[in-house]
Amino acid sequence: MFKKFFSLMLITIIYSLVSANEPKVIYPFEDSVHEERFLSLLNELRCPKCQGSNLAGSNAPIANDLKREVYRLVKSGRTEEEVKTYLIDRYGNFIVYDPPFRPDTYALWLGPLFIFLITLSIILVILLTRFSNSKGNQ
Amino acid sequence: MKRILNLMPLVVFGILVVVLYSFLTQENEQLESVLVDQLVPEFKLPALENPNNILSKSSVNKLPALINVWATWCIACRVEHPFLMQLKNKSTLTVYGLNYKDDRKKALDLLENEGNPFEFSIFDQQGKLAIDLGVYGAPETFFVDKEGIIRERHVGALTQKVWKEKFEKFLNEDNDV
Amino acid sequence: MIPEIGHIFLISSLVLSLVGGLGPFIFNKELPIRKIAILMCLLVFGSFFTLIYSFVVDDFSVAYVAQNSNINLPIYYKFAATWGAHEGSLILWILSMNIWLLAFISFDKNRNTNFSNLVFGVCSLVIFSFLLFTVFTSNPFERILPIPPLNGADLNPSLQDFAFTVHPPLLYFGYSGLLLPFAISISAMLSGQSNKDWASSSRPWTLLACSFLTVGIGLGSWWAYYELGWGGWWFWDPVENAAFVPWLLTVALVHSLIVTENRNLFVNWSLLLSIFAFAASLLGTFLVRSGILTSVHAFALDPERGLFILGIFSFFVLGGLAIFAFKNSTGNKTSFYSLNSKEFGLLLNNVLLVVLAVSILFGTLYPLLYEAYTGGKQISVGAPYFEFIIFPFSISLGLLQGIALYLSWGSTKSFNFLTKLILESLSIFLLTLVLLFVLFDELIPASFFTIFIFSWLIVGSLLINFSFKSFNKYLDFLNRRIGVLLSHTGMALLVLGVGVVSSYSNEIELILDTGEKIEFLNKDVELLDIKDKNGPNFISKTANIKVLDGGRTFNLQTEKRTYFPSGQVTTEAAIDTGIFRDFYISMGDNFKGDSWSFKLQSKPFIRWIWLGALLITLGTFISSINILRRKS
Repeated sequence: MFKKFFSLMLITIIYSLVSANEPKVIYPFEDSVHEERFLSLLNELRCPKCQGSNLAGSNAPIANDLKREVYRLVKSGRTEEEVKTYLIDRYGNFIVYDPPFRPDTYALWLGPLFIFLITLSIILVILLTRFSNSKGNQ
Repeated sequence: MKRILNLMPLVVFGILVVVLYSFLTQENEQLESVLVDQLVPEFKLPALENPNNILSKSSVNKLPALINVWATWCIACRVEHPFLMQLKNKSTLTVYGLNYKDDRKKALDLLENEGNPFEFSIFDQQGKLAIDLGVYGAPETFFVDKEGIIRERHVGALTQKVWKEKFEKFLNEDNDV
Repeated sequence: MIPEIGHIFLISSLVLSLVGGLGPFIFNKELPIRKIAILMCLLVFGSFFTLIYSFVVDDFSVAYVAQNSNINLPIYYKFAATWGAHEGSLILWILSMNIWLLAFISFDKNRNTNFSNLVFGVCSLVIFSFLLFTVFTSNPFERILPIPPLNGADLNPSLQDFAFTVHPPLLYFGYSGLLLPFAISISAMLSGQSNKDWASSSRPWTLLACSFLTVGIGLGSWWAYYELGWGGWWFWDPVENAAFVPWLLTVALVHSLIVTENRNLFVNWSLLLSIFAFAASLLGTFLVRSGILTSVHAFALDPERGLFILGIFSFFVLGGLAIFAFKNSTGNKTSFYSLNSKEFGLLLNNVLLVVLAVSILFGTLYPLLYEAYTGGKQISVGAPYFEFIIFPFSISLGLLQGIALYLSWGSTKSFNFLTKLILESLSIFLLTLVLLFVLFDELIPASFFTIFIFSWLIVGSLLINFSFKSFNKYLDFLNRRIGVLLSHTGMALLVLGVGVVSSYSNEIELILDTGEKIEFLNKDVELLDIKDKNGPNFISKTANIKVLDGGRTFNLQTEKRTYFPSGQVTTEAAIDTGIFRDFYISMGDNFKGDSWSFKLQSKPFIRWIWLGALLITLGTFISSINILRRKS
């Protein structure tokens, strides 16, 4: 264990002395908050030309252009919301996989809750009718 | 009560079938275009013909006009090319080109060989103006009216049929005013 | 000539299935159902076999072969290309329905009772409708005459892959397996079969269908991970949802049938759920094959096919529900159970699973609804939405599953196990955190919740704190209930995999020159060279990458392939797999000269997702086989 650790240390030290070249990261960030924002945006934005794929998962030319644009916007300090609005203004709501919570999407976001409540009330009705029925029979 | 409950699944699925049927018969609309009824966005890009000539929104001044997104790598653009030439010769309408993610030399060669229907072409190698226009790919065509407002957008090759259906009416409307 | 024989087989089985289907309903006569089932199965198999033959001998006069194969396609993929597109996969689907039917009849001891005849009749009718659909809208034997093309258009390159050749058959087998619970439910209602009997004859088949669905979906996810080249394992794509929704309903059905069989409860519910699960599998087919979900930007809508499937869907599902509403002759016993009973636990389980399934279906259909009521406006509903929806459900289902096996019928006498359960899961939770810290040098609070659920599930599933008299007793217990223990443990592993991979993943996108060396997560990564390679039907650029990870050195090859004749480009990712993490490299675009962009990713615990799916597959399979063995 110790031996392995030691050799690892040694390798790391030698390596850091020998290799000086910085990796050429395509989308470099100084601020890790920006980097995270950028990565999460790539996952939430849809590639307009491709069939069901986000920007992170596409190598289409348009996806690369949009990635670059998102990078520029994030780097210049725009928030996630601002970047999304920027793209929605150009490509419509289609571009975001995460639809905003607005009057026209209330149905979407509240739908599951509604389905859940309906199911619960049906079950209650069934259980209650059965309960009262069997009481009546007794 | 029990009867109603037993009928409920049938009713729900009946509605589902009707909804699914309506999806099938629903007209498949073209892509939604956000920029319709908006002003042409600002830009600063070189001309295809001359890299030192920086164009901007004010260069697009012979209105009404079409802005046509094209590229040499785009096959459908070749299809619509003759129609654009025709448009240039017959109509008073100006056609501006947006040369999209292309190679300058190849693009100029193409215009040399097959004719240039454009007043000028904006050279947008990085697709910057294209993003501002919400472009998905080439070819796409935008109609800009006298006020500089985008009125219509077409994705895909511009043909006589498309022209008649989607664009011609704006030209007449502009003449009336 | 050979394709025509296949066509004749297909038409004969069409006629035969109609006779078999109408027999029990119209003639009300005892048919030799086993013989008919065998004959149908053979005919469909013959037809499928001739289609395979046409692929293998490159008969491009057959339009379907010409569209989906190519002379240069390796022989193995020619074989698999048979089910690579719509028409052929339909035949495979029909074949699997026939196999299910035959299996059911062979295991059914009460052959030729009214009930078995009805099951046979319903199945035959469904098979008939699918055959009708195939023959009239999707005939795979159609010829291009008089001048056949010299070569075919090729199989979609991303399907030219091992996982993708086995994933569709298994998935179709699962989908079509839902035919049996459906037919059993309808027959039970029509014949007034006792609840215990129909539920116990439905349960092994439902479990088996669940097993195949699980392995089919799991393989699909694995394929997407390594083949699509960017390291995701689930995309919440409509096509995936179309498989996930039937899976959820099948899992719900597996659980509700237990109650119906043992307690004579949830009778109507199980009957309905059997119809719903089948409906969901038909709906999935409809959504995928009519093209309404995928055609937003492709213009290949085929309304005729869609209409036909919708017709099948309406006939069987609405018909089934009408029988439920008007002709249901199964008795529903009124009996009581308390809130701390197993019954109530399973009720909750069903509510959660079904509401989740409906919600996912709703989210999948929402863009279409939205377009309809806004008059053409478009919206995308994707991963962020579905993850938001599934989160509360999976937490509740997880908490429930942890205590599920401790509950007893009627009412659970003591909840003393709870203290031990909590303490033990807390210790497993802490141990897991320590392991993660040792492995990755950091603890990410976002993952704590899922890791706790994992610990809770592991303790709950393996029943390690159940009081047994001796270790042998415990082993005996494990042996008896191995199926349920395996699948519940599988769920635990899956949860851990999902939780860790979604919060501990790392990625970087960079440009590498040949000979360049960089460091990523304490690994030295060096691009040795980039070579041209020629495959049988593609050319590729292959990047040879050397990785030094601790003391271990290994080489990885990632490729950018261009398939001719389609010209389609695919990325072959290079993956160094490991129990605790995958190291994933995929090649991006070419920059100047020999420098290319690469995406480097670390995907910790991703294997556990498929390991979990595999355990669920095994568990349900074993349970099913055990039940079938006990019966015969």
